[in-house]
Amino acid sequence: MEAIKNALDFSDFPKIDRMLALAVFAFLFAFPLFPLSAFAMATMIQFLMFSLYGMGWNTIGGYGGQVDLGKAQYVGIGAYTTTVCLLRWDIPFWVSMPIGACLSIGWSFIIGYPLFKLKGHYFAIATIATSLVLKDLFEVWKFVGAARGLGILPFKYQVPDFWRLIFKEDIYYYYVIFGFFVIGLLYMNWFRKSRLGFQLRSIKDNEEVARSLGINVHWAKIKTYAIATAFVSVVGSFHAVYVKNIEPEDTMSLDISILIALMAMLGGAGSLWGPIIGAGVLIPLKSYLKEWLGAAAGLVGIDLILYGLIIMIISAFEPRGLWGIVEKIRRRKRI
Amino acid sequence: MKISSNCAQLLVGIFLLTALVLPSAVTAEEIKIGVLFPLTGGAASAGRELRSGAELALEIANNPMPDINMAMARNAGIKSMGGAKITLIFKDHEGNPTLGADLAKKLILDDKVHGLMGAYHSAVTKAVSVVAEQYGVPLINDSSTSPELTKQGYKWFWRTTPHDIYFTKDLFEFLKGLTEGKVKGVPAVPKKDIMSLASACEKTEWGAAVSELIEKFGKDYGFEVKKSILYAAKATDLSSEVRSLIAVKPDAMLFASYTSDAILMMKTLKDQKAAPKLLWGQNAGFEVPEFVSTLGDTTVGSLTRTVFIPKIALVKPVAAKVNAMYKAKTGNDLSGASARSFTGLQAWVHVLEKAGSLKPADIQKAANAIEIPGDELVVPWQGIKFATTGDDIGQNTLGMGLIGQYQKGADGKIDLEIVYPFNVATANMIYPFPKF
Amino acid sequence: MDILFGAIASGILLGMVLALVALGLTIIFGLMDIVNFAHGEFLMVGMYTGLLTAQATGMDPLFTLPLAGAIGFLLGVVCYGGFVKYLLRGPMIAQLLGTFGLMLLLRNLALLFFGSEDRALHHGLLVGKSFDVGMGIILSATKLAVAVLSVLAFCGVWLLMNRTKLGKALTATALNRQGARYMGIPTERMNALAWGIGGSTVTIAGALIVNFWSVNPYVGLIFTMIAFTVVALGGFGSVPGAFFAGLVVGFIMEIPGFWDFFAITFDIGWMADVPMTSFKYTWIYVAYFVIMLISPRGLFGWKQ
Repeated sequence: MEAIKNALDFSDFPKIDRMLALAVFAFLFAFPLFPLSAFAMATMIQFLMFSLYGMGWNTIGGYGGQVDLGKAQYVGIGAYTTTVCLLRWDIPFWVSMPIGACLSIGWSFIIGYPLFKLKGHYFAIATIATSLVLKDLFEVWKFVGAARGLGILPFKYQVPDFWRLIFKEDIYYYYVIFGFFVIGLLYMNWFRKSRLGFQLRSIKDNEEVARSLGINVHWAKIKTYAIATAFVSVVGSFHAVYVKNIEPEDTMSLDISILIALMAMLGGAGSLWGPIIGAGVLIPLKSYLKEWLGAAAGLVGIDLILYGLIIMIISAFEPRGLWGIVEKIRRRKRI
Repeated sequence: MKISSNCAQLLVGIFLLTALVLPSAVTAEEIKIGVLFPLTGGAASAGRELRSGAELALEIANNPMPDINMAMARNAGIKSMGGAKITLIFKDHEGNPTLGADLAKKLILDDKVHGLMGAYHSAVTKAVSVVAEQYGVPLINDSSTSPELTKQGYKWFWRTTPHDIYFTKDLFEFLKGLTEGKVKGVPAVPKKDIMSLASACEKTEWGAAVSELIEKFGKDYGFEVKKSILYAAKATDLSSEVRSLIAVKPDAMLFASYTSDAILMMKTLKDQKAAPKLLWGQNAGFEVPEFVSTLGDTTVGSLTRTVFIPKIALVKPVAAKVNAMYKAKTGNDLSGASARSFTGLQAWVHVLEKAGSLKPADIQKAANAIEIPGDELVVPWQGIKFATTGDDIGQNTLGMGLIGQYQKGADGKIDLEIVYPFNVATANMIYPFPKF
Repeated sequence: MDILFGAIASGILLGMVLALVALGLTIIFGLMDIVNFAHGEFLMVGMYTGLLTAQATGMDPLFTLPLAGAIGFLLGVVCYGGFVKYLLRGPMIAQLLGTFGLMLLLRNLALLFFGSEDRALHHGLLVGKSFDVGMGIILSATKLAVAVLSVLAFCGVWLLMNRTKLGKALTATALNRQGARYMGIPTERMNALAWGIGGSTVTIAGALIVNFWSVNPYVGLIFTMIAFTVVALGGFGSVPGAFFAGLVVGFIMEIPGFWDFFAITFDIGWMADVPMTSFKYTWIYVAYFVIMLISPRGLFGWKQ
């Protein structure tokens, strides 16, 4: 009960933040009820998915201070578990998704133990290495379709199928991911005030001091990594039933890992709203730029050039992301 | 002001609000077909050809051109719909199946297309066909050859091009003919001299399917497939793969490669002084103009499955006329890619003409009923007629493949000569494959 | 046996190429503890420079090296002065993501200007030529040239670092920044210089590599990963370490060749069925991971 109260308690934010958050929440809730292009709906679903990916990343990357660039492997585990379960044994989403999360967490413990002996850039590069190794393995593993990938055929099922999460209209998918989004947000709100959250903050501040206070640093990091993994895996499972076509190159590539980290970073790693802001800026930016300037116009890559520039500017001048800018301005106002 | 300090959150709101921009409305007398091709990425040069082929067909369909002996050239637009003209909406899927499916969905829901065509990469076509089937939008596949695509029994999918089972069988019939002395200009080669095969195919839907077919037919025809390598088409280095191929000392090397990897493969083979007796490519990268223009003499002697070679113009007047127009437009002769996208759109015109309406059910009925005679096609097929029963529903049963060999003509130009089917061979085959 | 010799020869040549690629990374890292994620992109810039200059002017690709080196130097210095300098002030997370942003920027600028298709050199003094020395050893002329130049470059850099005043200043800055500053060494300039040298070695490597590998905007990443592994193995900051580690990594990339040798010579059926070539790069990632866990300092490293 205490935990749920904590999760719903946003009182440490100023009133205007809460008002704005409520407004955005209302907007997101009502969004699909407006007449929209499929494009807009797809973009919003992407936004919600990446907010969740970012929130997960934020636990270890933001609060934990260990930049993880290998999240794509868990997207893959989640996506493939759900797909294989559905295709081979007709196991519905709500069962296969937790299974996927468990497999992901299991894998995260296996590699997490050695991984967290490293720090800083070495850690980051090692996360890239493990993600790519898993991707390479999936590319030759016939059980999961190797490089050909796996496809879910929606017309084999009676739509709308809430059990297996197969729908024809995007609106259903929207509300499911929105539900996850809300739960994720509440979890993160609880997390940052939980014991583990505080432990992480002191580790991030000064690891030696944290250790001297009796905190089991290694174990705290591994636990946090597992949480991040679970977030990513759940969204990965969703991705599989939404996109209905997965292959290693597409689902487990380094690009996805980078995007996840980038969005959380841009918005403000280590803050509650950061990942959401980051996704909220970058996803529409990417989608609309591609649409307006895309290949047909011969200007491929402009969206990513802007991404790169934004990242560079943020990391050089305000490493705490957009939310960091907001907080800075606020602090200045108060003084 | 406090409000400005939250501009980050406001920005989010603004961005999200702009998502409410609606697409433009549909005009009545316009027939819209969404076309998905790889306009960028490793197969971009094929994408360009595909686009040009489709655009040329569009020009002929929308304008009367009485000197071309094709039904679609006779009228401006679709006569049965009051002369309604066709518009093509091109989208670039970059070779990415998820993007392809996404674009197909947008074409259907936002652009409200009446039909689809595409997509070259079998992996992309697979994903797009699922979308088409789900939304009940007709899709004509002009250029993807993985057999899987017509094995699903889809009701909204038709394929004009023959698929890889036909083509791979052609290869083995050719090899068999080689051992029986049926190949023009080559005395019978004893089977033991051409017994061992090795293949290197790109690893997505298309190449993986070809790899399996080679192993299956190899066994059926009594050849020994010593090695089957799958590789990434986007790889920048293929030396390990080539080394692995050479290590098993095969008599024949068989490939399924897209553009950039086909070129890289040949260069690497040359670098490592590979010496097979026979080298064959399953079309795609081995057939684009880039292949010869980049590699020059290195290509001489290599075989490729093909669906069109310029020499066909000598025997088919339609092909000659269209090829001339194509050459005037792009500077290149028609190739397998452009000939097939041209033919794909031609099939669309016939289907629309027969349907007489834009209702999906009418289009579907028409597609299952059309019959286009072979002499109206630029490709050397007997015609176009889609199967409605059996295990290959939607497949054109009158298609045919050729095997061509790159040879240097008297004028120094490197061109494809037909070596299979044997009775239409245009030149003696060069055997064995000339040393690099 | 042919296969074995071929694989060994190939491994050595490849190793020397990779060593040259990694050289710049270890210099930069050795000096200021910043990992340049855009390292592979610098290589790509070098490749495009070599390719486009050769194609535009018709001159032999080998003569484009000085130009590539100059551009690399400039690029390094500009990146440092205009960007990396500011990154150093921030937390490590910012540094990491910063060079990542640089990587995205460079990669997509290349995509915008040059298109996504593969480009390759088809004419040149060494392009496409190889020497068959028998016993299955086929030496590609370009790789041979790169190997030779690699050795020269390493000797050059080693001499620079150990025998010149400038080199000693650089080393001093790397060992103890504050101390160097007290001694009057302009550390800011040393930083810029390190980026310049690091940048130029890798762009020269790129201009050489483009003689036998094609280039597209995406080649950067795999080279970055390879360079990291080489530097990790050899020890971050160690120049001789990078050379020997390069050779080792070259051999790792030849694992498919060695595997084939065993499979064919001893006629082991199950081995032949394993798609080893699909794992060419996988072994490098595994190697990185294993090296970092067992010996974070690498072979010759003096920095942790």
